[in-house]
Amino acid sequence: MSRFKDLQKNLFGGTTSNARQFGMIFALVAIVLFFQVWTEGLTLSSGNLIAVVSQYSYILILAIGMLMVIVAGHIDLSVGSVAAFTGIVVAKLMQDHSIHWFLALLIGLGVGALVGAWQGFWVAYVGVPAFIVTLAGMLLFRGANQWVGKSQSIAVPEGFQTIGGGFLDDIGPNTNFNNPTLLLGFAVCVAVIVREWQLRRTRTRMHADPTPLWVAAIRVGVLIAVILFATFRFAGGRVGTSFPISGIILGVLVVAYSFYTRNTAAGRHIYAVGGNSRAAELSGVKLQRVNFMVMMNMGVLAALAGMIFVARSRASGPQDGIGWELDAIAAVFIGGAAVSGGLGTVSGSIVGGLVMAILNNGLILKGIGADSIQMIKGIVLLLAVALDVYNKRQGRFSVIGSITKGFRGSGPSTPSEPPAQKVQTPVVG
Amino acid sequence: MRKYFAKSVAVSAAALLALTVSACGSEREGTTPSGGSSGGATGGFAADSLIGVALPAKTSENWVLAGDLFTKGLADAGFKADVQYAGASTTVADQQNQITAMTTKQAKVIIIGATDAAQLSAQVDAAHAAGAVVIAYDRLIKGTANVDYYVAFDNFKVGELQAQALLEGMKAKKPAGPYTIELFSGSSDDNNSGVFFDGAMSVLQPLIDSKEIVVGSGQTAVNQTATDGWKAENAQRRMDALLTSTYTGDKTLDGVLSPNDTLARAIITSIKGAGKPIPVVTGQDSEVESVKSIMAGEQYSTINKDTRNLVKASIDMAKALQQGQTPQVNDTKSYNNGVKVVPSYLLPPVIVTKANAAEAYANDPTLSALTK
Repeated sequence: MSRFKDLQKNLFGGTTSNARQFGMIFALVAIVLFFQVWTEGLTLSSGNLIAVVSQYSYILILAIGMLMVIVAGHIDLSVGSVAAFTGIVVAKLMQDHSIHWFLALLIGLGVGALVGAWQGFWVAYVGVPAFIVTLAGMLLFRGANQWVGKSQSIAVPEGFQTIGGGFLDDIGPNTNFNNPTLLLGFAVCVAVIVREWQLRRTRTRMHADPTPLWVAAIRVGVLIAVILFATFRFAGGRVGTSFPISGIILGVLVVAYSFYTRNTAAGRHIYAVGGNSRAAELSGVKLQRVNFMVMMNMGVLAALAGMIFVARSRASGPQDGIGWELDAIAAVFIGGAAVSGGLGTVSGSIVGGLVMAILNNGLILKGIGADSIQMIKGIVLLLAVALDVYNKRQGRFSVIGSITKGFRGSGPSTPSEPPAQKVQTPVVG
Repeated sequence: MRKYFAKSVAVSAAALLALTVSACGSEREGTTPSGGSSGGATGGFAADSLIGVALPAKTSENWVLAGDLFTKGLADAGFKADVQYAGASTTVADQQNQITAMTTKQAKVIIIGATDAAQLSAQVDAAHAAGAVVIAYDRLIKGTANVDYYVAFDNFKVGELQAQALLEGMKAKKPAGPYTIELFSGSSDDNNSGVFFDGAMSVLQPLIDSKEIVVGSGQTAVNQTATDGWKAENAQRRMDALLTSTYTGDKTLDGVLSPNDTLARAIITSIKGAGKPIPVVTGQDSEVESVKSIMAGEQYSTINKDTRNLVKASIDMAKALQQGQTPQVNDTKSYNNGVKVVPSYLLPPVIVTKANAAEAYANDPTLSALTK
């Protein structure tokens, strides 16, 4: 049994706080394999993998921002409307004023920042609950989208389309694969090895328990196998397609925000505020600034997601962004975040988002109707979170339980207490 | 336990490696896009091929009926059918994903009833590049050269017929003008909405100019009259507002141009709610509830665009393509999608009022029962 514990503890580089994520990764693998069999190999075909990445990258980008908002103890219902508003503004600018697409992209991010700052102001400095502020924002920016675009679809120029519908170019010798995608895949493999090596060195230097070598080898081995598999699949799609540009944008954001939320003081402050805002404030965290930045950041990411969607659709329309907030919030919670804040990781949210994406994609491939798919997704969301709550009550392996246990005395379970998240502790580090 | 565990790890690692190796097979075939130029009719394809049908959300009876007819008709013709509807709220993204999935499943023909005319071009291009023939069903898809055919009722004619029915209805009630009317148009992201409206205005505008017809609220621009998402609640809300702003007191409303039946009923509900006499209200689609309403003397007219014929025309196109023939078209001039003129097969619409309902629905078992 000890080996299993070793594996569970070390395989994905974390301890208890990664427990739920660990479960989700296995759920993801199970779902992928299930659909791979059920769809007779379509799920992991090149064409489908490429489609999944370009179809869901914008939702996953939203999930990154939403994770930070939820960790800080808020919620953002306006992301879909903000995305749609930015999309139409950018499309209009390019159509009516023939602004270069790259400049329009920057303006779009600026619009997102302004919208985010507006909402952040009300949340952080006036103290209106984020639920209300963003509910207002949802209406405000949906209306603004239809007002600016006169409820019509507006096409965007070809250059702009690359951020949502573009692929890595075919360059270099004809290897029957897309060369840049191959290089990208190999680079990621090297990065995985280097990082593993660095982690081991750090642990040794700090005289911490080093990860058993065999676990490290499996971890790296599995990761590299998966990456190579994906690389060849993405590089081997229909000519003209390869790894989507939107996927690269997503990848960069995931790495950057993972680092920010895990390894920087400002990032940890978000967890402190969400865990226990009073304690955080007393410890010198600038509460208002953290809340403001989290909301503003969400605005920028929502703008980016909106522009990627518009680029992929080649036009901005009045129905853009409807329901996106729900997809992003679902991804974050399936990925292990706590409803009351203070808990959750960027990578967890991405895994949660991918579970929903593969589920959605697999069901569509099987020709299941949109109505049934919504019902299935609803059930999955409910069950994923219910399982965690249940495990906690049973005194078993649970994220929330394992952290709050030390503060509640010796009893592994306290059934008389109302379930879930009543006891809040700052989770710093 | 240890042994078992080590073994299972080794097995799973080996399995993953095997997957990786098998992944080295590339889906690329040579250096030219496979089937990139097969948009026309070269050679046909297997008789049991997959035919994809992507329809909008089930917001009107028409789409539900069309889906059922496609499922049955394609199966009867020996094809494998994949008929999909978009979800009620996330229509565009759903359709994009569904069309991509059909492409992945190597559908030979993809028939699309678009929710948004402008936002599907990327998926249509990808489908075409993968060798599928794309047929726009009922609604034209804009901004791509890769829509191969368009099957629809003559929508400009629909608008004309609606306007003529509106005039006849009002004249029957009140022999002399001027007549006061209100205009409603469909969802502005649907390419057809503008065509219906233009058709109707081609008849009404001269009369508005000669003051024989007055638009009570003065709202005649498409963006003022539009009904977002073809949603009944939006039409009802606008009619409520118009009644409050314009038709208080004894000012009467003689007629309402409504682009379809769902909206017509919403408009009538609004007017009844305000306690006003029901004016002449047009419609389209021959929905069951509206046919009842027409027989009861409330809604004045509807348009019979027999979905059976439209679905049949689409399936006939798929059959022709399967046999390697060029499908029949009857209009190669009218429908420009911004990139090219899409070869179209247009079916004639029929106006239906209480007077000719029995005759018009003679072939339809559900509707003919209502007209007796």
